[in-house]
Amino acid sequence: MPVGTTEPIIRMHHVDKHYGQLHVLRDINLDVHRGEVVVLIGPSGSGKSTLCRTINRLETIDSGEILFEGRPLPEEGRELAALRAEIGMVFQSFNLFAHRTILDNVTMGPIEVLRRNRREAEAEAMELLARVGVEAQAKKVPAQLSGGQQQRAAIARSLAMHPKVMLFDEPTSALDPEMINEVLEVMVELAQEGMTMVVVTHEMSFARRVADRVVFMSDGQIVEQGTPSEFFDHPRSARARDFLDSIKGH
Amino acid sequence: MGVAEVFTTFGDVYLRSLLSTWLMTAVCFAGGLALGILATVLRVSPIKPLRVAADVYVQLFRNIPTVSLLVIFVYALPYLGATLPYRACLLCCVILVVSSFASENFMSGINAIGVGQIEAARSVGLSFVQVIRLIVIPQSLRTTVLPMTNLLIATLLTTAMGSQVPLTPPELTGMVNYVNSRSVAGISAFVVSALCYAGTSVALGFLGNRLDERVRIIR
Repeated sequence: MPVGTTEPIIRMHHVDKHYGQLHVLRDINLDVHRGEVVVLIGPSGSGKSTLCRTINRLETIDSGEILFEGRPLPEEGRELAALRAEIGMVFQSFNLFAHRTILDNVTMGPIEVLRRNRREAEAEAMELLARVGVEAQAKKVPAQLSGGQQQRAAIARSLAMHPKVMLFDEPTSALDPEMINEVLEVMVELAQEGMTMVVVTHEMSFARRVADRVVFMSDGQIVEQGTPSEFFDHPRSARARDFLDSIKGH
Repeated sequence: MGVAEVFTTFGDVYLRSLLSTWLMTAVCFAGGLALGILATVLRVSPIKPLRVAADVYVQLFRNIPTVSLLVIFVYALPYLGATLPYRACLLCCVILVVSSFASENFMSGINAIGVGQIEAARSVGLSFVQVIRLIVIPQSLRTTVLPMTNLLIATLLTTAMGSQVPLTPPELTGMVNYVNSRSVAGISAFVVSALCYAGTSVALGFLGNRLDERVRIIR
């Protein structure tokens, strides 16, 4: 990545957050550049999901600053909704709208937020659903799909908004093992097409294969970051070595 | 006078009173549902004074006996310069009471919506109003069909309060007085009205169950 030559699309600057007594984010400084795939890893409770969710302000922060395309995140209202429309989000528990069909899930944003007409929106939605391999399920409701199919549909729902960045908050953690790869494959393709991605995951093989940068978090802090081979083969901190040892052999 | 004789003598008036009861039930339920949805949207809105006002509204009308409310509308409002026709008084009272119960049902439906549904809607870029309109209202209505059916039946039975004011045509309970002041039907008139209420309630209950099966959200 040509770091430093262009303005980062996301910049987090001295970000702190508490949940009551718990200091969940400690002085986070992180830049994400266009086209970059940043993978956040770390033990559970390390703050990586919280960090991911602060980027589209599903979580607020106590102090510090988050810039998107050089501008601070809007606090609320129309501007915040407009920002969120530009940032795709994929959740651990899919969160497809339970009362609408898969097709409606994908077209709702384009029709209601981008004011596209229904026919165009549906045509593009069908293309996206075909791309993630669930076009046959378009007329079903989410509960009729497998977890892997639901998550792929959720990715299609995000893509329909033509996001500038996609956030993935443990997208495969709620999936049965045989469905993890079908979701990861879609994510790998996205990364190869140049999508800017922030991914919270426990899938180390995905991180190794796709990440431009691995960010290791522990106790609310960014402990170290580097390319996958730097991090996985030569971790510098004791905490990262302990973490990598603890997941080896699983 | 037996039940059959009540029917042959007063059949067409009975039919009109049954239709009157049905019509008032429909108007009160539709009005109550609409007001109940409005109150509930205010109760979950980000603006505190609106939340408090809507909470007070619901607690007030949920906790006053409908008959007391009717007395206030009929006897107290004229002192404030508002004299409404009897039927309008009755409809207003029932709508206010029904709306407060509808709001409580509706709140329980909202509580059943997972926070993830709302987060997903917000992350797509939907505004507060769009989230309410596209996610919250449809999901909570579809999960509360059975309690709303109960409320519809309760609305039907509450329109019997119309027997306390003069209405033309009378509704089913007022009809009992109408019959008994013109003949010696005694308990038979009550039986006919009761059968009409029961028949309507059973039919509504059946339809409510069918509707619930059709629209219930599989999660």
